[in-house]
Amino acid sequence: MKFSIYRYNPDVDKKPYMQDYDIDLEDSDQMLLDALVRIKQVDDTLSLRKSCREGVCGSDSMNINGKNGLACITKISDLEQPIVLRPMPGLPVIRDLVVDMTQFFEHYNSVKPYLENNDPLPETERLQSPEDRAKLDGLYECILCGACTTSCPSFWWNPDKFVGPAGLMQAYRFIADSRDQAEEERLENLEDPYRLYRCHNIMNCVDVCPKKLNPNAAIAKIKDLKIERAKDKKPKKLFNLKVL
Amino acid sequence: MLIELLTDQYPGMRQWLTQRLSAVVMALYTMLFVLMLVIQQPANYQEWYAFFSPWWWRLVTFIFWICLTMHAWLGVRDVLKDYVANLTVRSYLQLLVELALIVDLVWLMMILMNLRF
Repeated sequence: MKFSIYRYNPDVDKKPYMQDYDIDLEDSDQMLLDALVRIKQVDDTLSLRKSCREGVCGSDSMNINGKNGLACITKISDLEQPIVLRPMPGLPVIRDLVVDMTQFFEHYNSVKPYLENNDPLPETERLQSPEDRAKLDGLYECILCGACTTSCPSFWWNPDKFVGPAGLMQAYRFIADSRDQAEEERLENLEDPYRLYRCHNIMNCVDVCPKKLNPNAAIAKIKDLKIERAKDKKPKKLFNLKVL
Repeated sequence: MLIELLTDQYPGMRQWLTQRLSAVVMALYTMLFVLMLVIQQPANYQEWYAFFSPWWWRLVTFIFWICLTMHAWLGVRDVLKDYVANLTVRSYLQLLVELALIVDLVWLMMILMNLRF
């Protein structure tokens, strides 16, 4: 099986290059990650992240034949040869297929990805109706692999300002949560022209998500919610006149 | 109040909504324009002149052009924001686009008002 893999070690290499590998795989090597582990047996200088090897941790997200995905749940038989592997685009490369995800997680942190509830703690857990719980389906499953955000051109152009599909979907995950009380603040937090509105519905995020989620729909729902809330607002007084 | 979304309290929403609302106006005008064209079928200068003669049609055309100007301005500004990282170059390019759009709008207004140089 033929591979062409992006190699870059900043301590040794002046610039990145593509290295070709021709590897004999075993019958048990079904997924791309199996093949990468096999390559590492031949060349242990190749760096990549991996952990759960079953599409849950999101560590081994990379650019596979031009499209972001998880190596552990990508079947080798579905890929054209030579299989071209590159690090996820739009983030600084630490080494080979390992990228620096600091920027990605800074955006994630900026949407406050945790419940904000100022009510006194109940004796048991905060309950939700099945209907309210169902609103979180398609949102909570995100594993933060970064495949969507790093395939988004709006993120490539404004990586420091645009929150990106993963961060925005998590923002909506908490806006939609019936137990959260900070909806207003969360919506205000995304009012800047860059943070939310750089999304131009390019839909790369939906195309690449290994968990088959739809960040674009979540982004659209945030915009809809802003409009809904404005509808409900009472009109502001134009003139502050005192009536005697 | 929905109108608040178009104020500077909502800087992001204002741009996004303006682009969508102007698109709706342009789509409606385009349909109306095609309908008028099919009905009247102007073939020469006199007929085109007559086509744009009714005052309400000129007004609607001018409103369409204002929407087109806003839509184009926001769209091109978005593209420049994405592709031109240098702030000085981007500012000059934005200014150029703004000037072109204003000249275009004024030109249309003069045509609609039957003004000549």
